[in-house]
Amino acid sequence: MPKVAVIKFPGTNCDYDVAWALRVADGLEGQVVWYEDFTLSGWDAIIIPGGFSYGDYLRAGAIAARTKVIEKVAEAVEKGLPLLGICNGFQVLVESGLLPGALLGNESGSFVCRWVRLRIERPRGPWMLLLEEGQELSMPVAHAEGRYFIDEETYLKELLNSPLLRYAEGFNPNGSMYDIAGVASRDGSVFGLMPHPERASEEVLVPRGYSPDGKLIFQSLAIALRRGW
Amino acid sequence: MVILPLTKEEIEEIREILGREPTQEELAMFEAQWSEHCSYKSSRLLLRLLPTKAPYVLVGPGRDAPAVEIFPGTAVVFKIESHNHPSAVDPYDGAATGIGGIIRDILTLGATPVALLDMLYMGEPSNQHAGWLIRGIVKGISDYGNRVGIPTVAGDTWFDKSFNRQPLVNVACVGVADTERLVLEGSSPGDVIIITGNATGRDGILGSSFASRPLAKDADKDIAAVQVGDPLTEKLLIEVIRELTERRMVKFIKDLGGGGLTTAVSEAASDHGVGAEVHLERLHTREQGMTPLELLVSESQERMMLVTDKGRLEGVLKVLEHYGVPYSLIGRFDSSGRIRVYYEGKLVADVPAKDLAKPRAIKRASSPPPEVLKGLKRAEVPEPESIEDAILSVISSPNVASKKWIFEQYDHEVGIRTVIKPGYADAAILRLLDGSARGLAVKGDANPRYTSINPFRGAANSVAECFRNLVAVGSEPLAIVDELNAGNPEKPQHFWFFEQMVKGIAWMTDELELPVVGGKVSFYNEDELTGAQVKPTATIVGVGRIEDIARAATMEFKVAGSKIVIVGVTLPEIGASEYLWRVHGLEEGEVPVPRPSREKRTAELIRSLISNSMVRAVHDVGTGGIAATLTEMSATSGLGFTVDLSKIPVRAVYRIDEVLFSETQARYILEVPDDLVSKVLERAEKFGIDAAVIGEVTDNGEVRFVKTGKVLALLDLSIVRDLYFNTLRKFLEVT
Repeated sequence: MPKVAVIKFPGTNCDYDVAWALRVADGLEGQVVWYEDFTLSGWDAIIIPGGFSYGDYLRAGAIAARTKVIEKVAEAVEKGLPLLGICNGFQVLVESGLLPGALLGNESGSFVCRWVRLRIERPRGPWMLLLEEGQELSMPVAHAEGRYFIDEETYLKELLNSPLLRYAEGFNPNGSMYDIAGVASRDGSVFGLMPHPERASEEVLVPRGYSPDGKLIFQSLAIALRRGW
Repeated sequence: MVILPLTKEEIEEIREILGREPTQEELAMFEAQWSEHCSYKSSRLLLRLLPTKAPYVLVGPGRDAPAVEIFPGTAVVFKIESHNHPSAVDPYDGAATGIGGIIRDILTLGATPVALLDMLYMGEPSNQHAGWLIRGIVKGISDYGNRVGIPTVAGDTWFDKSFNRQPLVNVACVGVADTERLVLEGSSPGDVIIITGNATGRDGILGSSFASRPLAKDADKDIAAVQVGDPLTEKLLIEVIRELTERRMVKFIKDLGGGGLTTAVSEAASDHGVGAEVHLERLHTREQGMTPLELLVSESQERMMLVTDKGRLEGVLKVLEHYGVPYSLIGRFDSSGRIRVYYEGKLVADVPAKDLAKPRAIKRASSPPPEVLKGLKRAEVPEPESIEDAILSVISSPNVASKKWIFEQYDHEVGIRTVIKPGYADAAILRLLDGSARGLAVKGDANPRYTSINPFRGAANSVAECFRNLVAVGSEPLAIVDELNAGNPEKPQHFWFFEQMVKGIAWMTDELELPVVGGKVSFYNEDELTGAQVKPTATIVGVGRIEDIARAATMEFKVAGSKIVIVGVTLPEIGASEYLWRVHGLEEGEVPVPRPSREKRTAELIRSLISNSMVRAVHDVGTGGIAATLTEMSATSGLGFTVDLSKIPVRAVYRIDEVLFSETQARYILEVPDDLVSKVLERAEKFGIDAAVIGEVTDNGEVRFVKTGKVLALLDLSIVRDLYFNTLRKFLEVT
């Protein structure tokens, strides 16, 4: 069975949630790994889950992004291992330069926890095999620093040529530029997003009017790891 | 350096206990431990009235947290705490550290914390100072709760000018554990005392004594008594204790909370009939040159005491080192029955553990103040000129309107257990996440207006409200904890409210067979400027069990064309109601009569309807009466309704405002599929409960109240929704 490393920093709090979602979505084995114990071998994919690494007292994800384990993660990415950053994990990927842009404090000045609708553009790569161009997805967000910021040049050159996840109209919860909720590398193997797919992977957790679309991301990975992408 | 507010008599008693003059350190220890906050000296005699037993109660009052067996082999550990005084001085840190403390109480039994609740009784949102407190309190809870990764899933709020300067911040935490994992061994001679977590500093010195007197006039002087939180360390403590308890490596765990090290050691020793030897210089500290006295009574946050035997010590230390959590081995328990404290080899305190841990209870005088006469008055007000305006005024009350502005600032989903989320139903539902369909319901309730007008009925009704909320989602209420927020116990006219609230809870819980398994008392909640007590408030947090989370009921209307059914009879009980306050500016009149036997029967009916999937939505009738209940079901769904008020079963009601706004207890409103209506009514009759079809759910964007064909009120649903969802935000959002 393919094995997915779920990296846990001090302050990470969605680690077991992600491992659970991997299992219920498609029987993937997610193993929670303490950041100091992480080694490169033996993994088929890596997820950096949400939480508040090191308390995020400085800037979300800033300290975790400068740990040794992130160097190892970068090495894994060069070898082609799929990498997913959720919420704080996305912040870590942006802080470490593995994905472009920056994540700033929400426009409201407050933490926000609510369900949103999203739309995917140019889906490709291991995390999006089951997604179709323009498909609407619902998932919840829960963050204080999720306002995506990018310079125009990179947006036009890179993001518009890569998979891109946007908040649907009227659902931007934080003031993100271009309504961006998640970005990916050109081939889609590195994907980071603010919404929490692990909280939208089972029908029982979904409020009325939304759907458990987060599981499509984990199911995509399961298929990708079995058949390639 | 520290002013010791022990009374002369208490100091004399300490001399007798010791048979000599106490040292400064000993005085500080007694001061911390004998403070109202730690010792319950004024409340203990009355708290004995509360029923605490049931076959499923595993741990009752007395420990840091109680435990009930919710399903065979699964325990729920839950507890409530107040942080009223610190939050009045420093709302952000005061509220945050309240969250930290209540989580650690749950950890002491080895349970995994799965949910937080916040019951906030705060000033008027339009008042500048009160608004600052509200924003700070909510942000403090948000920043702390979110960071430790425990969802804040439910709570309660009330806004009232008596809380403008002294808010009530009551927080609760719920944990789950396999019954066999609960840490209940206790400490015995030879066991090692480990203090782990944050370093000890000078913050919160004698914070419990600060909480056991009114605020100083110049509240800024109290700032040194407020602690500052560190949620990252708390999060690591959660991980550490999860691992230690899974591997059964500790015998006893205690939070270093109020009273700091002194309270932790003396209670751990006296509860198990042992003594202890403590070496203060071994404690890891944050600053240089702390005196033994400061080390003994500092209330620095995120510190816990772990007790283990020599055999398991090495393993415990390995776990602490793996997570990078600092610790110190400060001593061991012995069979002396005394707490002996050394500092650099010198004995600085030597006191009998039992005498230190439990001061003599004090019987306080109590007498009703003349103001309670307003609760005996019959509320006589003119009928409102416009029913529409009256309805809008009630639903836009901050006490009724949606608390979305608050709960969206809390991560209420982390842990992937939250099946029914805030704003969707009368209580939150969490799944156990053990692969089964089983879950638990939680909710907190209070009504400060009721308890300030009639503390006995008010407190009883708070229990009933909590009971109904748990029932309305389809759960079976199991147990409650209570937080009693009262004035100055030394003033008989304040103490009377406390006494009546305890008696009200005792009577109601006895009738409902709902054990009170734990609780807290907070006295000295007075306005610093006037010395007036803030509205005395009995906060109730209850847990219920539900066999199948997929069947849990929510409150929003689901399908246009469904019938609306009311369960329970309406009496002319607008005394102390939200209507009387919002529309007529009065806080007086008879508080609605508590009706325990009717509550019980009605609850059985509601639960049977939910478990047989005979209803689409359920909402209990509470603050704001039928008018508020129906508009809430409508606003949260986006569907409208038409209701005929002449169809509502009433007794002795002659006025339309009484029908709409009465807060009579033991009532619910249901959405029922058309084809099941007769079955639902039949079942109600079998249970001996009044029930009637009063209208139907519509999709025409209207909220319509009629009386025998004549339209009394016709409101645009979009206006209703805007008022319901945005009132609080408009007051509190800083733009």
